[in-house]
Amino acid sequence: MRILLQLALILGICYAGDLIHDFTGIPVPGNILGMLILLLLLCLKIVKLEQIREISDFFLKRLAFFFLPPAIGLMLVGDDVKSQWPLLLFLCIVITIVTMAATGWTVQLLSKKSKNKNP
Amino acid sequence: MFGIILTIIAFEIGVSIRNKWRNPLFNPILIATILIIGFLTITGISYDTYKVGGDYISFFLGPVTVLLAVPLYRHIQALKNAWLPILAGIVVGSTVSIVCVIACAKIFGISKTLMLSLIPKSITIPMGSVVSEQIGGIPSITIVSIVITGITGAVTAPLVCRFFRIKNPVAQGVAIGTASHALGTTKAMEIGEVQGAMSSLSIGVAGVVTVFITPVLLRVFG
Repeated sequence: MRILLQLALILGICYAGDLIHDFTGIPVPGNILGMLILLLLLCLKIVKLEQIREISDFFLKRLAFFFLPPAIGLMLVGDDVKSQWPLLLFLCIVITIVTMAATGWTVQLLSKKSKNKNP
Repeated sequence: MFGIILTIIAFEIGVSIRNKWRNPLFNPILIATILIIGFLTITGISYDTYKVGGDYISFFLGPVTVLLAVPLYRHIQALKNAWLPILAGIVVGSTVSIVCVIACAKIFGISKTLMLSLIPKSITIPMGSVVSEQIGGIPSITIVSIVITGITGAVTAPLVCRFFRIKNPVAQGVAIGTASHALGTTKAMEIGEVQGAMSSLSIGVAGVVTVFITPVLLRVFG
């Protein structure tokens, strides 16, 4: 598929996601609904990976770039937030470790159980 | 134009610093954010002037998020072998992350907006920033907290796995991807192939799970 057609397809899916969000009012953002639509199209083989290769390589390889403008919004954050940064940093670190442990334990425990069932 | 050029230059500097040292602490987003904010502050150029160009870049956030279906699709076959433990682990992990944020916010008296901004901190930036916007958080704080979370995951993953005796390779991968998205996944790939694939799968699944459970958990605990 030509690259502009690939872009049009992705923008179309994006638009469809927004429309579904607006009309049904479900609390899932339109972008995410768009992602689920594309996933469905890929699983059903209606869209093939090769057909959107150029556009997905272009965007996914520099994904972080597109998030810089929203990150710069940090400039507008008030002093009340700025004074809490050390606490936020600490919480981010601790919660990440707790989340990792909880996830790992759950997977490990359940895999052991299913292994024991079928020796 | 100005905002676009500044963003590209700062991003390229960030990427080349990362490529030179290959250390998760040198994160391109973190470096570029500091460079851009520093440049605007020193020159006295307002955020609104920057935003004129920045908005052209932000326009592509929609298509970027939709395209996350591609890596998710590539790794979804990995679910077939052990879908129950993997999905259960991701649901438990995502729930623990969100409930911890809500609990800590109450304990430490953090404002509601700030708490909402931190809730999607464990998932990938495209999904996290839309979740943040949706529930009333500040996306810029969410993005920075996501980057800090990712760096934490990448740096601490081997230690956490050893300390909490997570030895199963599948469990290690799912734990790293669920807790610290793509940044942690870079570490998971270094640890091993299974860990890398499981971590990659978990990025997308944890994102979707978080999107769906966040409104529910907020209603119950919020």
